[in-house]
Amino acid sequence: MNTIIKNTRLFWQGTLLSYRALFAWLRPVTYMASKIIMPLAQMFFFVFLGTYASGGKNASFFVIGNAIQITSISGIFGVTMSVGGDRDAGTLPYLFGTPANRFMIFFGRAFMHVIDGAIGVVIALTWGVLLMGLDLSRTDMPALGLTILITTFSTCGLGLLMGCLSLLTANVMFVNNFVYFSLLIFSGANVAIESLPAWMQVVSNILPLTRGIAASRALVGGASLNDILPLLITELGIGLIYGFVGYVLFAWFETQAKQRGTLETV
Amino acid sequence: MNAIEVEHLRRVYRAQIGVFNRSIKEVVAVDDISFDVKQGELFGLLGPNGAGKTTTIKMLTTLLIPTGGSASIAGFDAVKQATDVRRRIGFIFGGERGLYWRLSGDDNLRYFASLYGVDPAVSKKRIPYLMELVGLKGRGNERVGGYSRGMKQRLHVARTLLHDPDILFLDEPTIGLDPVGAREFRSVILNLQSQKKTILLTTHYMFEADALSDRIAIINKGCVIALDTPGGLKQHVSDLSVVEVETFGTSEEALGKLRKLPFVDALSVEDREQKQMLLIQTTRGAEAVPDVMNALEGQRVGSVIVREPTLEDAYVRLVGGAA
Amino acid sequence: MNYGNLFKYWRTVLVVAEMSLRTQFSDAFVLFAIVFQPMIIAILALFMLRDKGGDYAMFVVIGSGLTGLWSSLLFVSGNSINVERWTGTLESLVGMPTPFDVIVFGKNLANVFQSLLSMVVSYALAAALFGYSLTLTQPLLFFATLLISMFAFICFGLTIAPVFVMYRSIQQWQNAMEFPVYILCGFLFPIALLPDWTTPVSYLLPPYWAAIALHGTSTADMPFPQIAFSWGMMILFSIVDLVIASQLFRIMLYKARVDATLDVD
Repeated sequence: MNTIIKNTRLFWQGTLLSYRALFAWLRPVTYMASKIIMPLAQMFFFVFLGTYASGGKNASFFVIGNAIQITSISGIFGVTMSVGGDRDAGTLPYLFGTPANRFMIFFGRAFMHVIDGAIGVVIALTWGVLLMGLDLSRTDMPALGLTILITTFSTCGLGLLMGCLSLLTANVMFVNNFVYFSLLIFSGANVAIESLPAWMQVVSNILPLTRGIAASRALVGGASLNDILPLLITELGIGLIYGFVGYVLFAWFETQAKQRGTLETV
Repeated sequence: MNAIEVEHLRRVYRAQIGVFNRSIKEVVAVDDISFDVKQGELFGLLGPNGAGKTTTIKMLTTLLIPTGGSASIAGFDAVKQATDVRRRIGFIFGGERGLYWRLSGDDNLRYFASLYGVDPAVSKKRIPYLMELVGLKGRGNERVGGYSRGMKQRLHVARTLLHDPDILFLDEPTIGLDPVGAREFRSVILNLQSQKKTILLTTHYMFEADALSDRIAIINKGCVIALDTPGGLKQHVSDLSVVEVETFGTSEEALGKLRKLPFVDALSVEDREQKQMLLIQTTRGAEAVPDVMNALEGQRVGSVIVREPTLEDAYVRLVGGAA
Repeated sequence: MNYGNLFKYWRTVLVVAEMSLRTQFSDAFVLFAIVFQPMIIAILALFMLRDKGGDYAMFVVIGSGLTGLWSSLLFVSGNSINVERWTGTLESLVGMPTPFDVIVFGKNLANVFQSLLSMVVSYALAAALFGYSLTLTQPLLFFATLLISMFAFICFGLTIAPVFVMYRSIQQWQNAMEFPVYILCGFLFPIALLPDWTTPVSYLLPPYWAAIALHGTSTADMPFPQIAFSWGMMILFSIVDLVIASQLFRIMLYKARVDATLDVD
């Protein structure tokens, strides 16, 4: 019991600290710009491009796709910076020097970004309703909420894996940007998965977000929670796999770093 | 005409402190500094950290606007005629920053030469000559990122000579160099001196200032507190001699005894690996040695030397032990 | 900038541009902005506009190339002065007899030139991966437009960098300025889709006129008077930008020398 309490506290401390450290650096205005204006502008761009391509009646396809895609800003950039931030701040050796439960440290770093990402999606959907004619009247809202949370969670799983990879590479932002933009193609936010070449569909299917976006579109179209449950379960599973691989890598990285004495330099 | 004329130069920094209750704090970096540097002279600027040396040089090189007073370089006002000044001066702010690490040494020089407005035909000949002058011959094709610190600092010297300026400002040019590197660097400076360049040099190393400078200004807390030739400055302490005693593990008790001796003006201890060096300033010269040895009875003592005071001793007395 | 300086210092401008190209070409961030991001946007747009037929491929090539040009101008040219400050070279540059805006002009020339890679990459992608055969409808006028556009982009960039140096509060919005310009300048879809009130804003942006004329000369037979009008607008904006930039640089350098902000420490 005691262990559970201790680990819960560890989890929360990591969560709050990493989140606060990140946004102390970013400042409120930048946060606003990156949280509200940037997503809106990006959504507008793809919605206009999409309606230009296929006519106004398809707008909600692009609105929903790009709104859910917003979650990857927190899931990828946010989580990676929380994990990789320790290296830049030079605090990694101290972290590895503590007896604290690695699992809790690791997932604590992602938790706040799940919340943050979900809020981002809600803001984006609100923009969609207010400015882009998104109609949610037939939508099962609790189910949509659950879908958003699960999708954000699975995207953060990918972020955790990338955060660990970022400990190995010098060009963190390059990799992050690359994955972020690639998701715009593969997640189905802007292009129907069925119309992609076969090999690209395979990639789509092993990435997070894809099923979350599909489920959201179905819900907005009037589907029930039961209809989309298989999608959600798979999405959750994908997120868990990415997170777990990330955790294994994190643990491997710690052992390697300690064996080779590269904690300071990596 | 003097190469550099500085009159009542003053610079105040305003720093904002606190994020929420914003108050402005004024820091006087340079209070009131005046001096002239003659053409072809090597003029040293000495002073403890924060005395205002770098701020002074940045004002003279047109990179900072003075709060008060004036400076003229080669007859041009450092604020109003900044471009004319820039054409005639070169400057180095010690350290290895300020170069493009991804470019080769030669490319760095080619870049800066074009910014100085040097004709490409001229710089084509001048760059190899300068690389040789600063001892980087044959390394021009390598990326600067791979240079050692000393090489980067010497590349800075070559950079600053591209347009053959008459007046050079060297701010701590040997900082962070190993002894060999610093010695090579000093020979480059002596070479420039022989070419009749006017040089204003700041340094932390007293022997360096002593060996190179024609005249030295010592500044402290933003004011000039002494201005003379190295010999003239040493006159301030001409009544003193320094007894240097090499010891091995001297006890605090013995040091206390030494301090109590009436003829000891000042005592400082320098640690040199297992040995310690006791530096005793005294007006009694060699006559002080027997009493010193008595006070150190029972301690292991190595060599004993009585020497003339150095510039450093004069500096310590003038600045009041601040260094 | 006093544009007489461009004639007086043209050789310096070229050397600065050459050295900027050499330092930046190995920079991962620059590569992302001018190669990968436009490439991904091009892939997306090619998929999305596929039903509109092959004619749109050239439109996408030009449009996604322009997104690379703008992103590079916003992030690379926008930060060009700040980058010199971080590497400690700003003091050396300001302490030179060459006017500082001439130096930044050279850096922007390099940025804009290397951003043309965006178009080349998009072109290769559309041709190789999607198998479109791509031709320019008015090749000579297109390349003339491209040259004028480059000049307009350089001058526009010259006003952005000093603003970002002087006003941190504006620089914080840098990320939020990327997509709105893609939208307002009609890079990948016509601005007729946008609400009417945004049209005057588009007219005030030099990249809009570049996009109009580049699209017009590559995928349509734009009548010459219309092309010439876009050229005129770009040249007009360039002149205005140069005048504004010269004031901004003067104020910025004076402020930096009073506040002692040429170096980071």
